[in-house]
Order: sequence, then structure tokens, then C-alpha cells
Amino acid sequence: MQANDIISSGLLELYATGLTSSEETVQIQQWAKLHPEVAAELAAIEKGLESYAQAHAILPAPSVKTKILAHVSADKKVKVIPLHTRVNSVAPFWKYAAAASIILFISSAIINVSLYNKVDETAKNLDQTQQTLASLQQSNDEMKGSNESMKEDMHVIQSKYSEPVVLNGMGVAPTAAAKIFWMKNTGEVYIDASNLPDVPTDKQLQLWAIVDGKPVDAGMIITSSSGAKLKIQKMKTFSSAVQAFAITIEKKGGSPAPTMDQMVVMGKPPTL
Amino acid sequence: MELVKKYTEEELILSLRQRDQQAFSYLYDNYAPALNGVIFRMVEEKELAEDILQEAFIKIWDNFHQYDITKGRLFTWMINLARNLTIDTLRSKNYKKQQKISADENSVSNLSNNYSGAERFDTIGLRKNLENLKPEQRIIINLAYFSGYTQDEIAKEIGIPLGTVKTRMRTAIIELRKML
Repeated sequence: MQANDIISSGLLELYATGLTSSEETVQIQQWAKLHPEVAAELAAIEKGLESYAQAHAILPAPSVKTKILAHVSADKKVKVIPLHTRVNSVAPFWKYAAAASIILFISSAIINVSLYNKVDETAKNLDQTQQTLASLQQSNDEMKGSNESMKEDMHVIQSKYSEPVVLNGMGVAPTAAAKIFWMKNTGEVYIDASNLPDVPTDKQLQLWAIVDGKPVDAGMIITSSSGAKLKIQKMKTFSSAVQAFAITIEKKGGSPAPTMDQMVVMGKPPTL
Repeated sequence: MELVKKYTEEELILSLRQRDQQAFSYLYDNYAPALNGVIFRMVEEKELAEDILQEAFIKIWDNFHQYDITKGRLFTWMINLARNLTIDTLRSKNYKKQQKISADENSVSNLSNNYSGAERFDTIGLRKNLENLKPEQRIIINLAYFSGYTQDEIAKEIGIPLGTVKTRMRTAIIELRKML
């Protein structure tokens, strides 16, 4: 039998707990002499059981020791030969204490290093989390803003007073379109500028209301590169009758009178 | 405080072979409580246990030349001697093994609370660690070690096949060794 097979067989454990038969016992003692590994394993098992027994020890009455020592000192067959091996040996307790304190010191150092690393890592994680949180907060704010304006837009469209006026593309921009929401109760004019063409940066779209046959400035449409054009914009208020709305391309900031050949869209409110 | 010499196991064995009574006194102080614990759990009677303990130590002294260091540790030899002596005593006195002790591991741990000796071992810390042993692991060790059960009896007591006792015991002792 190989040493490893002996060790893993479980026989050594049975031997140490006094469970082997006399044949097995002889066999195991032979193995232990033959294989140092088996002897070492057996010693470790026995040490374990010894500690187990020590943990379950019960102090006997002092009289037991007295009786035993009486027997021993009555033993006259042999005389005591003093030993020299005892001197100068460090007491086992101090050996253990020293070993234990070294082990403690080393483990504490290891723990410190690992804790330090952990703290460092945790701080980094916290930093990252805070950054993520901040950026989330920001996009949340942005969402809130766009949500608010969307709500506003919806209000303009859904209001029972809002009267839609469709503006259709003209010669300069035949595919252009715009929609006006004219609030009949307040006269407020809103425009959905999403389908209006982009204009050069030095130009701007200007809304006109035709009142009594004359064009009246109704406000500038913001078409910044940031996409504000998409938003429904509030224009000037007209409570009197408006025959038509039109949008022309004008110089930045607007013109007092429309440039007629630069008309982009035009549309009439439904006749009352 | 009385100055007590400490021995390594080798020193102790060497001294006992030289019939050193001081060494024997040391041996008693360090191992008698553990042996007494084992014997007591087998007989369940304080006075009887102490009688057997006394007899065991006298045998240890008288027959120390029989101890063969190549066959195992000193404590193993002593505990086997004590256990065999206990079994013989129980048989001769027509005692019946009380299954209660072995199966009920609580009685074992309760008893251990009475103990206050063996300064060589950190018994308090060890006992705390041993609480981590699974009950089935504690029971199989107790049955063999504290009750002197045979493999057959252990198999019947726990309700496992005879062949399993070996592997169970090995697992239990491996776990025990981890706790030291």
C-alpha cells in the first residue's frame, strides 16, 4: 500500500481512536515505521485528538494524585537519575507566547495592508460613484427641463382654445411647413417651427401677421444651432382678426417690413 | 507561585524512562484531567472514574518501559491504556454501557464546564473552536473516544453502514485538526 493510500484510507484515524482490530493495529504500526509520511500524519491525528481530550478534561480530586504519588515513592526498585537536558531550556509557554506574538504581528501587518488597499479602493469607488451621480443629476435636470417644456407644448396643442393654423411652403422653400396655435381666448400665438428650413447664421426667420391687409411683425423665430427651433415658441399676441400668417427670411434681429420674395411659408386661419 | 518545570514530550519520556518522580508528577498534572474526562464519560460516576484513573496512572508508572515511541504519541498510549482499563472494569463489574452519554453530546459539553486545569493547553479557546464542529462529527469522535464504542456499535448507533465509519471518522478528525 502506498503512503498516500494509507493516509486517505481513514485507518489511521480509527487507530488513533482505538477502533482498529489487533491485526490492523500491528499493520498500522508497521506502516508508520516504514513510511515517515504515515508516521507524521498519525502524529498529527493523535495531536488533534489529544487536544480534543484536553478540551474536555475534568479535574480529578486532589486525593487521587496523593495516592498515586504514594505508590510511586514506595517504588524502591529504581533510583532517580537526574537529567542534564532540562537546564537552560526556554519554558514552552514562552516559546509559544513568542511564536504567537510573531504570528499575531505578521497577521496584523497583513490585515493592515489589505485594509489599507481596501480603503483606497473604496475611496476610488466613492469618487466614481459621486461623479456618476453628478452626471446623472445633470441629465436628470436636463430631462426635467425638456419635460417641462414638452408639457408646455402639450398644453398649447391640447388647449380647447387653441386654433391651429397651417402654414404651407412657398416659392423659396416649397417643402417647408409650420403650424401656428392661436389661442382664441388670450390671443397668444405659438408656433411649431420644427419643419422650417435652416437659415444662414446672419439671417433669421420672422413671423408676420396680416392685419387689415398690412403685415405686422409677430416676432422672431429662434433657430439656434442648439435645436431650439424644434420647440414650440411663443410669439406676439394678436387678439384682433388676423387674415394670414407668413414667415420670411430676414436679416438677424428682424426687419420692420417683410422681404416678400423671401417668404418661406404662409397660411390663413380658418374663416370664422 | 511555585516554580514548575516544563517538559517537551521528548524530555518527559526520557525522564520517565529514568524513573524521574518529578517528571511523573508533571505528567499527572498535565494529563490526568484529560484522562479523567475520558474515563468519567465512560463510567458516568465521579468516584469510580477517579479509582480507574488512579489505577491507570499506577500502570503507566509501572509499565512505562512498554511504551514504544514509534507506535504513537505518549498521550495515545496513555488514553488507550486508560480506556482498556475502563472497559475491563465495566465488564467485570457488570456495568452496562449507558448510551445516553455517548449519544447526548450536550452532556459532554456541560461536563467540560466544570473543568479548570491543564495549564499547558489553551482549553477555553480550543473549546470555543470546537463548537464549530458539526454535531455528527462531534458524536462520532465522542462515541469512539469517550464511550469506547467499537466500529460496529458506532455504525449501529449513528445508523450508517460499517464501511462508512472509517471515512466519517477521517472527515471528523480532519475538521477537528483545522480548529487547533
